[in-house]
Amino acid sequence: METGFPAGLSAANGYGVFDTRRAVLVLEDVTKTYPNGRDALRDVDLVVPEGDFVFLVGASGAGKSTLMKLLIRDELPTQGTVTLDGDDVARLPRRKVPMVRRKIGIVFQDFKLLPRKTVRENIAFALEVTGTSRRRIRPAVDRVLSLVGLTRQAEQYPHQLSGGEQQRTAIARALVHDPKIVIADEPTGNLDPLISWEILQLLLRINELGVTVLMATHDADVVTALRKRVVALEEGRVIRDEIGGGYHRTG
Amino acid sequence: MLSFLLFSISRAWQGFWRNAAMSIAATATMTLMLMLLAGFWIIQAGFLASLSYVEDKVGVVADLNDGVSDAALQDLESRLSTMPEVKSVEYISKEEALQRYRAQRQAQGQDDLTGYLADNPLPASIEVKLRRPEDYAAVTSFLQTDKSIAKVQNIKDTTDRLVSITTFLRTFGVVLLGVIGAIVLFIVINTIRLAVLGRAEEIEVMRLVGASDAFIRWPFVFEGALVGLLGAAITLGVLVGAAEPLSHFMVGFFQILPISIGSISRDVTLLVVGAGTGLGVVGAWVSVRTYLIR
Repeated sequence: METGFPAGLSAANGYGVFDTRRAVLVLEDVTKTYPNGRDALRDVDLVVPEGDFVFLVGASGAGKSTLMKLLIRDELPTQGTVTLDGDDVARLPRRKVPMVRRKIGIVFQDFKLLPRKTVRENIAFALEVTGTSRRRIRPAVDRVLSLVGLTRQAEQYPHQLSGGEQQRTAIARALVHDPKIVIADEPTGNLDPLISWEILQLLLRINELGVTVLMATHDADVVTALRKRVVALEEGRVIRDEIGGGYHRTG
Repeated sequence: MLSFLLFSISRAWQGFWRNAAMSIAATATMTLMLMLLAGFWIIQAGFLASLSYVEDKVGVVADLNDGVSDAALQDLESRLSTMPEVKSVEYISKEEALQRYRAQRQAQGQDDLTGYLADNPLPASIEVKLRRPEDYAAVTSFLQTDKSIAKVQNIKDTTDRLVSITTFLRTFGVVLLGVIGAIVLFIVINTIRLAVLGRAEEIEVMRLVGASDAFIRWPFVFEGALVGLLGAAITLGVLVGAAEPLSHFMVGFFQILPISIGSISRDVTLLVVGAGTGLGVVGAWVSVRTYLIR
């Protein structure tokens, strides 16, 4: 199913002209209320076309994490719809949820690497557990290893690696099953500025290869310097969505 | 399907050894619990055998009139044998009764006074063994109507008491076995739950990269089965090692009781292997379930 742009949404994304690219991710009027009554997201509309690079900014508790959880269907929206690559994730039967997650590559602040597996095994793991044949795993892993520049470290364990190398391993794992979109939740949060830039360069390169990237971050310098699309959340609402914006409201 | 099976088993094997500390702890707990279960099962079997041994002693004894013809006796015996309550019928002649009496006096260290009697005063009798002691009343009333019978010994009070005691003990044994079984179930499942909890991160990663539930669940289920089988093997090894000295010690016990070591060891093997595998599988299944359903 091809998802076109819902009317009225394209104007809000800051492009100014009607965007004809295919939308990888569409949030329509999404509200998420947790059982304790707190509204984590309120009436959020967001369209991410294929190939976009989007920064998601906002203070802690502004709703970034909740938004990420909705995308991977860890949580369901209380209201509205989340559409990923044409699938309404809330309506998917349980057994199809893994198929949707395979279209997403997820990168975390704390890497979430398995300590008893080598770099290669950590990356291959993502394919093994989705039933990929051994024959196809090895070349795929080699490809992403060279993409993130870890070919030499392939047989090392996570504790033998620097923070930046660990995050590159996590990015390689997120990429190995050819996702439509990479979602990075504060990927540079645990890294020093220089390494953060390396990671960001890597994400930009991946974006250039055609993968859509959605990155939540606190890092104002990075956001301001890169002049990419910025979606700002405050108390669960989208308060700003513009291309080339800074971390803070400009003007 | 076959490759999925191979994948699950090899992942289970890997998971077991890469988390050796947790696996060994789980296996040790499993082993101890299976030993508890097996030990109790064996005690229960001996206990039940003792009860049946005691119950077997219950029989209805009826004294015969003097001078009952062989034909009448045979008729009585065959009619008794066809009763469903009756297990066996034994005829004790006057001479046998006298011999038994003498043997009894001698065993008690008392003088044999029968030599002073001109005649054998003891009656011939029949002893009817019952399938179940509760059925004594039916047999007693049947015997009372037969004209060859002089007197049926009254065993009502003793039998009623015995039956109420054995019934209580049997129920108590079953309840106790149930309680032990429940304790074993909870302890083993909780241990496996802990082992799985230690791997929560691994499960989380699998979920996030889009592993289907089956791919997450089955390696853990096989790992649980592995823990169970290993625990069962160790338990059986210990039991086999202990069987020789123990049976030497309890040889008198086994000689008296109507108990078959063969059937017990078969039952215990089935119990230990079945309970071990079953608990491992169920424990893993329910523990992983917590992480799958969201």
